Amino acid sequence: MSIALSPAVPAGTTTRKRAGMPPMVVFALCWIVAMLVVAAAVQWLSPYSYTALDLRARLQPPVFMGGSWRHVLGTDELGRDVLARLLYSIRLSLLIAFGATLIGAAVGTLLGFLAAHLRGFVEQVVLALADFQASMPFLILALSVLAFFGSSLTLLVCLLGLHGWERYARISRGLAISAGAQGYAAAVKQLGASPWRVYGRHVLPNIASTLIVSMTLAFPEIILLESGLSFLGLGVQPPETSLGNMVGYGREYLTRAPWILLSPASIIVLTTLSVSMLGDWLRDRLDPTLR
Amino acid sequence: MLRFLSIRLLRAALTIGLVVTFAFIVLRMSGDPALLIMSADAPPEAVAAFRKAWGLDEPLWNQYLSYFGAILHGDLGQSMRDGRPAIELVAERIPATLALTVPALILKIGIGIPAGIFAALHRNSFLDRAVMITAVAGFTVPSFVLGLLLVLVFAVQLGWLPSGGQDGWRHAILPIITMGAGGAAVLARFTRSAMLEVLGQPYIRTASAKGVSWRAVVRHHALPNAAIPTVTIVGFMVGSLLAGAVVVESVFSWPGVGRLLVVAVANRDLAVVQCILLLVAATMVTANIVVDLLYGFLDPRLRSGVKA
Repeated sequence: MSIALSPAVPAGTTTRKRAGMPPMVVFALCWIVAMLVVAAAVQWLSPYSYTALDLRARLQPPVFMGGSWRHVLGTDELGRDVLARLLYSIRLSLLIAFGATLIGAAVGTLLGFLAAHLRGFVEQVVLALADFQASMPFLILALSVLAFFGSSLTLLVCLLGLHGWERYARISRGLAISAGAQGYAAAVKQLGASPWRVYGRHVLPNIASTLIVSMTLAFPEIILLESGLSFLGLGVQPPETSLGNMVGYGREYLTRAPWILLSPASIIVLTTLSVSMLGDWLRDRLDPTLR
Repeated sequence: MLRFLSIRLLRAALTIGLVVTFAFIVLRMSGDPALLIMSADAPPEAVAAFRKAWGLDEPLWNQYLSYFGAILHGDLGQSMRDGRPAIELVAERIPATLALTVPALILKIGIGIPAGIFAALHRNSFLDRAVMITAVAGFTVPSFVLGLLLVLVFAVQLGWLPSGGQDGWRHAILPIITMGAGGAAVLARFTRSAMLEVLGQPYIRTASAKGVSWRAVVRHHALPNAAIPTVTIVGFMVGSLLAGAVVVESVFSWPGVGRLLVVAVANRDLAVVQCILLLVAATMVTANIVVDLLYGFLDPRLRSGVKA
């Protein structure tokens, strides 16, 4: 999966649209905003608690499949409201993905800067680790760590944070080296600025747009990884619930109650699709390496 | 060429070494194996005897070396579930996994590459858009969602195909389609962007200007040059033949290596997990070497210039 979204697509280079956003991107943006609103306001939006049981209304179909308005999206095998679980799942899945993306970006950028600043041995080690990371299927590495430590939310976020760090490291190393060759970084250094100041205040803002684009491209991959691990029962553990988790448990009731899994599945697809479209569009607009 | 190959082999050994080190560090960080295996109320002498028997009382550095040595001798430990050698357990699952991943790979290449070339040659046409939208959808839909949807339609609603298990070729159809679809989408996108990049190069214009027919330009100038990035992705897919099916095998209850891995992780059967990890690393590294050799075949400029 780590390779899926990374091609430096030159497609947009010649036909890049300058004026306005394409309607698909507007839709994607609206969807992302809606998801963020849901995640922030889940306490007020959710009709029930995500663990509340309604044992007299188990496996009830959603409204449009002949159910009642009490449970708009139906209920699961324990009579828990699917809509309430869905809203809480959106929040947890987004939180994990955000946390992991930020960790990946921070670790990767830091290592990239270290490699660019110290060069020599440190740089070789960072590059070798990046090669290693890129050449192993991440899911297998993640699964082996989970086998040794068991699953917990903190571990899951840190683990997913390691996904894609090598891309940030390569980008920030390359850009920091070329920034060093340009006058401004050297000038600030001559003025006596500490390395922290040179990289934090001068180099980082100059490469931020590229890093932000990488983050929007990594974000959907992390959502997919988390949902995949949770689907396998090795990610988010009950009673907490995430989108992949709901699909995994809903699978048991595929024939009798397909609605349990269809709503989280469509949320996963729409969200990853929206963020990837936004990321592609941002890359075409912002990424200076493509111009 | 020899120097090229030896550098590649050295790198491959380094990668395997890193995987082994990774496994060792994670294993030691996860807690004292003696306490993990023996019950909490075991007498201290028994724990000490266990430590001595397994060399756990030695310095960490010695433990690391002997661990490395055991792996070099093919000793990958025993499954904690049934005491059989882990390598045996894994090996007997490999045919089932290959029965899914090899046809899926053929499907990926057979659909993805032609679709990508077609889309690039008919750029911005309606069909190009259609191919690309399908391709984006193809990899934003997670394989477990696609698999379950296929089960819902073809097994539950229509009743044409079985929903899971391994009992004849009809059981393999849905998992193969599930795996092939996502990979074909990735390949189509990569091939299209590689082709577009090549088609924008000056030598294509030169060839056209010389009066070479468009068909010949595409066949002799565009395709070989666009093959290089595509080969990289195909190499990655070949490298994950053995373990690329973790999720799909779980969806369809297919008894392959991926399913074994998930069960082993859930049971914390460390020897089996480690064995699969090493197996995947070895296949990945081998595929990478083959890809590097193919680069030399595809692009003469890379044959002599060894860029580390």
